[in-house]
Amino acid sequence: MKYQVTHVTDYIYQSPSSLCHNIMVQTPKNLPFQTVEQHEQVIDPEPEYLNRSQDFFENQTVHFSIERTHSKLTATSKSTVVLSAPAWMTADPGQTQPWEQVRDWLHTTKALNDTRQFYLQSKHVEFADGVQEYTLQSFTPGRPIMEAMLELNSRINSDFTFTPGFTDLSTPVSEVFANRKGVCQDYAHFSLACVRSIGLAARYVSGYLETIPPPGKPKMVGADASHAWISLYIPDLDDWVEFDATNNLLVSDQHIRVAVGRDFADVTPLKGIIYSAGKHTMEVSVDVRRS
Amino acid sequence: MIASYLNSIKNGTARYLDELATKDGQISEKWQHLAHYYDCAGPQKLKQSHDEVSRQLRENGVTYNIYGDPEGMNRPWQLDPIPMVFGSEDWEYIERGLQQRANLLNHILKDVYGGRTLIKEGLIPFELVYNHQGFLRQVDKLMLEGDLQLIQYSTDLARGPNGQMWVLHDRTDAPSGAGYTLENRAAMTRVFPELIRENEVRKITSYYQTLRNTLINLSSRSLENPRIVLLSPGPMNDTYFEHAYLSSIMGFTLSMGQDLTVSDGQVWLKTIKGLEKVDVIIRRVDDVYCDPLEFLGESHLGVVGLMEAIRQKNVLVINPLGVRMLENPGLMAFLPKICQKVFGEDLILNSVATWWCGQEREKNYVLDNLDYLIIRGIYSDQNAVFGGNLSSQEKDELIRKIKANPYLFVGQETVDFSTTPSWIDNQMVARNAVFRSYLVANSENHGYSVMPGGLSRSSPQQGVFMVSNQTGGISKDTWVLGKQVETPQPPPVKVSRQQAKVQQQILPSRTGEHLFWLGRYMERSAYTIRLMRMTLMAYNEADTDIHVTEDKVLSTLLKSLSHLTGTLPGFTKKQVLRKPESELLSLTTDVTRMGSLANSIQSFLSNGYAVRDRLGLDTWRILDSVSEELNGMKRPGITLTEVYHALDQMVIKMMAFYGLNIDNMTRESSWHLLNMGRFIESSANTCTALKALITKKFGLATDKELWETTLRCNESLVTYRYHYRSNLELTGVLTLLLSTEANPRSLLYQIKKIDDHFKQMAIQEFGETKELSPIRKKLLEAYTKTKLSDIETLCVLNEKSQSYTQLITFLDEIVALIQDTSTIVSEDFFNHTSSRYSMIQTNLLPEI
Repeated sequence: MKYQVTHVTDYIYQSPSSLCHNIMVQTPKNLPFQTVEQHEQVIDPEPEYLNRSQDFFENQTVHFSIERTHSKLTATSKSTVVLSAPAWMTADPGQTQPWEQVRDWLHTTKALNDTRQFYLQSKHVEFADGVQEYTLQSFTPGRPIMEAMLELNSRINSDFTFTPGFTDLSTPVSEVFANRKGVCQDYAHFSLACVRSIGLAARYVSGYLETIPPPGKPKMVGADASHAWISLYIPDLDDWVEFDATNNLLVSDQHIRVAVGRDFADVTPLKGIIYSAGKHTMEVSVDVRRS
Repeated sequence: MIASYLNSIKNGTARYLDELATKDGQISEKWQHLAHYYDCAGPQKLKQSHDEVSRQLRENGVTYNIYGDPEGMNRPWQLDPIPMVFGSEDWEYIERGLQQRANLLNHILKDVYGGRTLIKEGLIPFELVYNHQGFLRQVDKLMLEGDLQLIQYSTDLARGPNGQMWVLHDRTDAPSGAGYTLENRAAMTRVFPELIRENEVRKITSYYQTLRNTLINLSSRSLENPRIVLLSPGPMNDTYFEHAYLSSIMGFTLSMGQDLTVSDGQVWLKTIKGLEKVDVIIRRVDDVYCDPLEFLGESHLGVVGLMEAIRQKNVLVINPLGVRMLENPGLMAFLPKICQKVFGEDLILNSVATWWCGQEREKNYVLDNLDYLIIRGIYSDQNAVFGGNLSSQEKDELIRKIKANPYLFVGQETVDFSTTPSWIDNQMVARNAVFRSYLVANSENHGYSVMPGGLSRSSPQQGVFMVSNQTGGISKDTWVLGKQVETPQPPPVKVSRQQAKVQQQILPSRTGEHLFWLGRYMERSAYTIRLMRMTLMAYNEADTDIHVTEDKVLSTLLKSLSHLTGTLPGFTKKQVLRKPESELLSLTTDVTRMGSLANSIQSFLSNGYAVRDRLGLDTWRILDSVSEELNGMKRPGITLTEVYHALDQMVIKMMAFYGLNIDNMTRESSWHLLNMGRFIESSANTCTALKALITKKFGLATDKELWETTLRCNESLVTYRYHYRSNLELTGVLTLLLSTEANPRSLLYQIKKIDDHFKQMAIQEFGETKELSPIRKKLLEAYTKTKLSDIETLCVLNEKSQSYTQLITFLDEIVALIQDTSTIVSEDFFNHTSSRYSMIQTNLLPEI
């Protein structure tokens, strides 16, 4: 499946700025089941400084600054990405190893640091009271890890109500859990809190969903904007297997992966500091089409 | 004295070792000579020495700030006249131990931000590093050139019951105190020169040379003239004194985050000349405050984009960001094993016994022994608590926290550290002491140099173990006795000459702005004081039978005060004028009131403190004494008579401040800006005061009195008498105060001075130009207007209004020109100091 993604961010300033510094994380990853055929970024006005690098989590980042007076900034990322079904789609969830085995292995030095870091709490993922108990209802003793995770994913999807505007970036997991409301970031952060609270390693994944559904299929939640879901490490499959609680899905070839991190803070699509006295607003639009 | 000291130890504090006494109550060898000295000197002499030490420090303006205490700014620094003493053998072992520890921590640092094999091999638990907020993922794999990554390193040490030195804390992020240490030594050297010589106390200056050397070497591999700035959080920081002090003695440019900017991936210093590239930043700002874009978004102490400049190796930051992970007290538990594994040696200096709760057994031990342990978070030692001091409720809460996140906590043994003779309340008593050592990477021999000395602190109370200045500890100089066996002196800094050349002309815009306003507020305060004194004198002499409103001289003076201080309506309102006392008190002593004298003096002080590195060291003490005087004036219930006397003192101190600067400041841009501020203020004040005092005609007697007052206010009465030897005439007064260029109080002289200083600064910063700049055009206009003014015409009375309207118009025009000049100066030289910024980022999107 081939997709065209256009991600446009506009900053609009109340009073002009003569300097701003930004970090952009909007470059899709190359993975065995995801090939980035084309990728370009257009920033207007053209930055005086632009540099690409790789962050700690091996995401592509772009640092750029605009060093002359401007009142509006538009950053456009365009990508052509080809997706295929990941290997985990053919795995039998009931045949995966017991989840405790994974937990115990993660807590030894046999597991890589790069893997282990994803079972710790992070800025937006705290172990709120009751989360572990909630998780253990699906992760019963000895249960195969993937099977348990699919059930948890489905429970979150049915227990929580997708409610735009109820939460913002500062809403902690505990509040999301208490109200069972939120948007895709909240679903992802809560899913992470669940599995990490029982000692499993899971990452926050940011990316996109296709905007126009195939004929006969319903439009999915999270289209027309950047989306978020999680990936859980399953040693048996030697992979980070992706689950989308917002859509109750095992992620396959409709999700375009951009970046991974401990939580949203590691993969913020665009953030900047603007030298200007006035306020500013940001507008984002995402368009994903099959081609 | 010593005998009673030994006695007191025997009776009271026997559970601690003592630095002076041996186990069997004799004087230890290292203390022999000193003990003899103190015995001969006696308490009286020692008290004198203590006073002398305090005086030295006060005169050098050595201060520190206490957080969260409004009275805590610029507290005098306390120094015990009795030093902490180390013998040479003792020291040799400490020195070796410190060097080993520095190398070990350096190794860990390189590994944690490199291959992380220590974690893979299980020598450092994974959680200990990855959960620590000092482990900055942004600096992963970024290394300085060469082996040494940890450049500055400090430890807090204390002697435990077994006679060994124990490490209480490792300080790696931005260790402070080296400046205070140098000041302590300077004061002690002045007061006890023979004692220091006879005891062969080792010199500590090589530490500072090595630091400078290393910084220059680290940066000069590709550069001929590296520019080094010291990044300070600013005057509110507890050790700001030291930032300014170290900057001035080491030749660094003192700067705050707002002085620096990043563009093109480079760091630039905003100077009055424009942007100047920065090569090395020696930072006193904590790691995560250094760049709001990549770390704490709310920080306003850092430099936006600094991390990217570091990433591109366009700037060196010392200590490097990320080093704070070494301050993790949990690491202490694992150092002995790592030392064995890495160096094949035993760790020489033990850390205070530490149990990291991330391990089951250790966690249980800590929970079982909570009452006897100090509990710390692994990230910050601010919240350390002694378990035994907690209420049962607090204890339950702590236990809950530990159980929820065990790897975030350590338990540490409380060490009964040794006591040392301390001079407290005029007595020699035994107090527990902590010693802070200073190490610096030595780029010449690729090892670490240890300062033979350091900053010791003793607790003012007995048996207090958490000693810091914030909690009232008293500092001590630290003496390492006996000649060093071999003295590998660091070679003199090779590029020092170039360094001096580079530093000479850099003036950050913010500093320039502070200097300009320092000049303005200095002059404004002095002028206000003079007018205030004349007014108070008139008020005190006024006939009590006559109403203030009918006393034309007094009421004109009072009104002129409201005009000059910009606090209208003030005395122009009848009811205020009728009972002037409370308004007079408010105008002098209310710091919170814009325009009041106290407010101007406060502004003078804060501008002064902000640029203290630019002012001669001697000048600092005048700032402190002005500050003291101001505190006296602010005291509630002060009377006008007391205010009058205080004003006398104040004006002398202000003049002394200016006088010292005339002698001390080099004639470069900072000097010129200070003077531009001063003369802009004085010329504007002269016009405002003339307009308020003598543009109205009352009657000859009253007028003459006001003319005399005006001359006095402008310190020109004597000159007048000398020049005219006649009765007072308005034409004479105006000629002297407006157009007699030889009179330094005349308007013409002052305008000329603004122009002179501006011209010289412009030449220095930008070179000669043919074109007349907008500032000089304004000044030329003001100068010409004054020069060409016809005094006779200005003195023509408007019969209808009984005032000199042409004089009023003239004065208004000059004030407008002066104000324009001031505005252009601000726009041209300080405008790039604007540094307001805010964060914007992709937020949760409502539609998903």
